[in-house]
Amino acid sequence: MTANPDPHPGPVAPVFCTIVPPHVLDTLARHEDPALAGPARRTLERDAFERTHRRLTTVIGAPSPAPPEGAPADEPPRTIYDARHRTDLPGRRVRGEGDKPGKDATVNRAYAGLGATFDLFLKAYARNSINAEGLPLNATVHYGEDYNNAFWNGEQMVFGDGDGEIFLDFTIPVDVIGHELAHGVTQYTANLAYFGQSGALNESVSDVFGSLIKQYTLGQTAAEADWLIGAGLLAERVTGEALRSMKAPGTAYDDDVLGKDPQPATMDDYVRTGRDNGGVHINSGIPNHAFYLVATALGGYAWERAGQIWYDVLTGGELQPDALFPDFATLTVAAARARFGEGDELEAVQKAWEQVGVRTL
Amino acid sequence: MRIQVKRTGGFAGVERAAAVETSGRADAQEWHALAERAVADSRGTPPIGVPDGFSYQITVDGKTVYCSDPRLTEEQRKLISQVLKEGA
Repeated sequence: MTANPDPHPGPVAPVFCTIVPPHVLDTLARHEDPALAGPARRTLERDAFERTHRRLTTVIGAPSPAPPEGAPADEPPRTIYDARHRTDLPGRRVRGEGDKPGKDATVNRAYAGLGATFDLFLKAYARNSINAEGLPLNATVHYGEDYNNAFWNGEQMVFGDGDGEIFLDFTIPVDVIGHELAHGVTQYTANLAYFGQSGALNESVSDVFGSLIKQYTLGQTAAEADWLIGAGLLAERVTGEALRSMKAPGTAYDDDVLGKDPQPATMDDYVRTGRDNGGVHINSGIPNHAFYLVATALGGYAWERAGQIWYDVLTGGELQPDALFPDFATLTVAAARARFGEGDELEAVQKAWEQVGVRTL
Repeated sequence: MRIQVKRTGGFAGVERAAAVETSGRADAQEWHALAERAVADSRGTPPIGVPDGFSYQITVDGKTVYCSDPRLTEEQRKLISQVLKEGA
């Protein structure tokens, strides 16, 4: 699948660093040649739209309806939409909060997964939904045709059905649902920029809470959990057990079509690349593994102590949007000390980062 | 005309690439028209996409432009899916 050489090498420089300066676009937009002026004008318009949209979404919250008055704070205000294999969002409303299950298993899985995620954040961390203020949880299923992906668009979750050849329905693993929703929590808290190391931290936070939601749902301890992301998502013919492994990054799959899991477990194997927003789905293996090490060193339910420390860092207000791995690691040390004092938790956190090669201050 | 599409990112972080050579094809004119419209709506530099969204790189006769999910025009979406489906 990656047989074609990259026509845009740029070895170290992240892809996002080369945005055309606005003043150049302004000049081009006024050019008498419409072939130059047209695209520049459209780029400016789209940039302005996206920037404003993103800013509004981040600053004042996604423009979803407020929770209905009198709605109990301990119930997730869920709505599931069906894109019916098109790409218009959100699509047709097919199930609201409290509605009975329907015949579509995908809709029912998404509804249950949103509920499980809401439950963990509320019961373990006393957080009322994504924004801590009861934000409605919206998800669209059956997005596109044979669509091999799931994503968070800044306002809602979107799930494809997979092509059946490589990937199955993206609502199958509950950790994938939790992962997408956790992107929403990150957006409303530390708002880690989605490129380079801060992007890998953003991805890792989603894997951590995605995995914790699965463990919470199954009632598993750290020792019992599989620590896999996307188990059950790969089609039968694919050689692999999942998309990522927090226990052993780099070992989730090794397949003729899919290639080999590229994740590093430690800084020795850190991957410098401009692809994938600077390798956000690759280097996330390092903080993922650190979390696994903390959780298994402490034992018991991972969401209680290891998860609490990570949650404290994410929501504590000190984690900057452009944080690097050592910044995050240092904050977990401080959070472990603040919440649990000088004890096993602090030692486990310090040892874990040392083991993956990330220095803490 | 050689049309290449490369997709990166996505939840799985798995890349896909394919290319179509239109010379000699009966539907070459349709490919050209579609490619021109798709390229006109793309950017010269990669936009930062949404978390887990796919990023696309479209190269037509050596010129490369970028776009990303979920904000694709109909033409971009059609070109990308046709090249990834029919291309080698």
